[in-house]
Amino acid sequence: MATVSPSSSYPRRRWAPIAKSVALYGIIAIVIVIILFPVYWMVTISLKIPRDIYRTPSLWPDLVTMDNYRILINEKKFLINIRNSLIVAGTVTATSIVVSSFAAYSVVRFKYRFKGLIGRVILFAYLTPVSLLFIPLSIIIARLQLGNSLFGLIIVYLTFSIPLSTWLLSGYFRGVPAELEEQAMVDGSTRMGALFKILLPLSAPGLVAVAIFTFTGAWNELLLALIFITSEDLRTVPLGLNYLITGDVFLWGPIMAGAVLSSLPVITLYFLAQRFMVHGMTSGGVKG
Amino acid sequence: MTAGPATANPTGFRRRLTFSQRQALWGYLLVLPAIALLILLVAYPFLYAIFISFTSRIVGDAGEWVGLDNFRYLSRTSSFEKAVRNTIMLVVVSDIAKLIIGLGLALILNEQIKGRGLYRAFILLPWAMPGFVAFLIWRLLFQPIGGGINLILTETGIYPEIIDWLGQRSTALPAVIIASVWRGFPFWCISFLAALQTVPPDLYEAAKIDGANAIQRFWSVTLPHLKHVILVVTLLSSIWTANSFENIWIMTQGGPSDATMVFPVLAYFGMQTQRLGEAAAVSVAMVPALLILVFVVTALLKEDD
Repeated sequence: MATVSPSSSYPRRRWAPIAKSVALYGIIAIVIVIILFPVYWMVTISLKIPRDIYRTPSLWPDLVTMDNYRILINEKKFLINIRNSLIVAGTVTATSIVVSSFAAYSVVRFKYRFKGLIGRVILFAYLTPVSLLFIPLSIIIARLQLGNSLFGLIIVYLTFSIPLSTWLLSGYFRGVPAELEEQAMVDGSTRMGALFKILLPLSAPGLVAVAIFTFTGAWNELLLALIFITSEDLRTVPLGLNYLITGDVFLWGPIMAGAVLSSLPVITLYFLAQRFMVHGMTSGGVKG
Repeated sequence: MTAGPATANPTGFRRRLTFSQRQALWGYLLVLPAIALLILLVAYPFLYAIFISFTSRIVGDAGEWVGLDNFRYLSRTSSFEKAVRNTIMLVVVSDIAKLIIGLGLALILNEQIKGRGLYRAFILLPWAMPGFVAFLIWRLLFQPIGGGINLILTETGIYPEIIDWLGQRSTALPAVIIASVWRGFPFWCISFLAALQTVPPDLYEAAKIDGANAIQRFWSVTLPHLKHVILVVTLLSSIWTANSFENIWIMTQGGPSDATMVFPVLAYFGMQTQRLGEAAAVSVAMVPALLILVFVVTALLKEDD
C-alpha cells in the first residue's frame, strides 16, 4: 500500500532512507529469529540422541536419529492419539459447519423478532470461556453417561466450535450481496436452494477458513480432554503429550517428536489457506 | 437485511401465512439447532456453575445451599489470592507487550518492504501451531538441562550461571508471560496490519501537506484509525488470557508453590479434589470482571453492524 515515502527531496538527508531500511530489515530479522528459534529447537531436539540433549547440549545436532519418533510411535502408541484426534476434530468440524451455516444464514438473511437477541446469544457463547463451563459440563456429561468417550468429547467441543463458526460464517455471508440470492429466487429457486446454490459456493473461501479454525480448535484442545477422557486408548494428541510430561522422567526427545508430528497437519492447513485465514481473523472474528 | 416486501411472493403460494411470517418461521427453524445446543451446552452450564458455587456439592453428593461460604473460604486461602494476582499480572503485562510488539511490527510491515507476504507468513507461525506445542517447546527451552535459553546465555557469556527459570518463584511467572507473548502477538500484529491497510492514503498526504512529521502523522492519522481494532483485540485477548489453562498447565502447573497459579488451574485442581462447590466458586469468582469485558466487546462489535 502507498504509505509515507522517505523524504528524499532533502539532499542533506539522503542517508535517511538507507538508514531507515537497514533499521526496518534489522528489526524484521530479529523478530524472525525469535519466532524461528523455538521451532528450530523443537525439531533438533526431536532428532537428537539423549546424550546430545542432556550431557553435551549444543545448538546443532551432531548425530541425527529417528529413535525419538520410533519410541513415540511404537512404545507410546502415538498413532492411536492421532486417530482419536482425527475422529474428534473431524466430526466436530463437520457438525459445526452444517449447524452454523444454517444459523448464520438465518441471522444474516432472515427477518424475525428475536434476531437481535439470538445474535447476542451466539456472541456471548463465543466469549464464554471453557474454564467457566467445565465443572457443570462434567456433571451433565456424567449424568448422560457420556463420560470417557470420544462421543462425549465431541459433544462438549461443540460448546466452543458452534459459536466460533457461526460468528465467523455470519461475517462471510454478510460480505455476499443479497441481490444474487434474490435474483435466484425470482428465477424460481427456493430459499434453501439459494443457500446451497448461491451463498455457500460464493462463501467457499470462508467455509474453508472456518473449517480450518474449527478443526484446529478441536485438535488443540487440552482442558476438556483432560477432564473427560480417562482411558489411555481414548487419549487425543494433546492429552497423549500431556501425560508424557507428567511422568517422573521427561523424555524430551519423544515429546518434541510428538510436538513436531502434532503441529505438522495444523501448520500445513494454516499455510495452505493463509490468505483466507488472515481475512477470517480480521473481518469475521475481529471486525475493524 | 434482505428486501422482502409482500409483492416479492414466489409463485404457487397457497397457505394462509404471509410472506414475512413464513420468512420468520424459516429463520427460527434454521437457527434452532445452534441455539438449542448453545442453551444446553453453554447457557445452562453457565447458570448451573453459578448455582453450584453456592452449594457444598462434592462428587457423588449434591450438597446443600451454603450461601457465600465457598467464596468466603476461598478469599482466605493464599492460593486464591495468588491466582487473582497472577491472573491480573499475566493479562496486563502480556497485553502491553503484545500491543507494543504487535503494533510496532504491523507499522514496519506496512512500509514498502520487499517480501511482506513472506514475513507475514513467518509471523503467523507461533499462532498457527497448537498452543500445547508452543508451551511444551517453551517449557523445554527454559529447562536447566537441555534448555536452549540457558545454553545461549552461558555460551554467549551474557549470564554465566544456569538458571532454573520455571523452578524458582521469581522467574516462573515472567517465563510463562514470555511464552504467552510469543504465542499470542501474531494475532495482534495481523489484525493491526489489516486495519492499517484500510487507512486512506490521502489522509497521510493531507497531513504531510499540512507539515506533519512522521510522529505527528502517527498520532493524528494512524492511531485514531486503529483505535477501534486496538480496543477490540485488547479486550478479546484479555478474555482469552485470563482464561488460558494450557500455558500454565503445561509449563508449571501453577508452581512453584503457587507462583504461577491462575484461576482455571486452581479450578481444575479444585475439581480433582472432588469439592465441586469450591471449584465452581473459583471460576465464578471471575465472572463479574469477565462480564464487564464481554459487555464492552459486544457493544463494540455491534457498533459495526
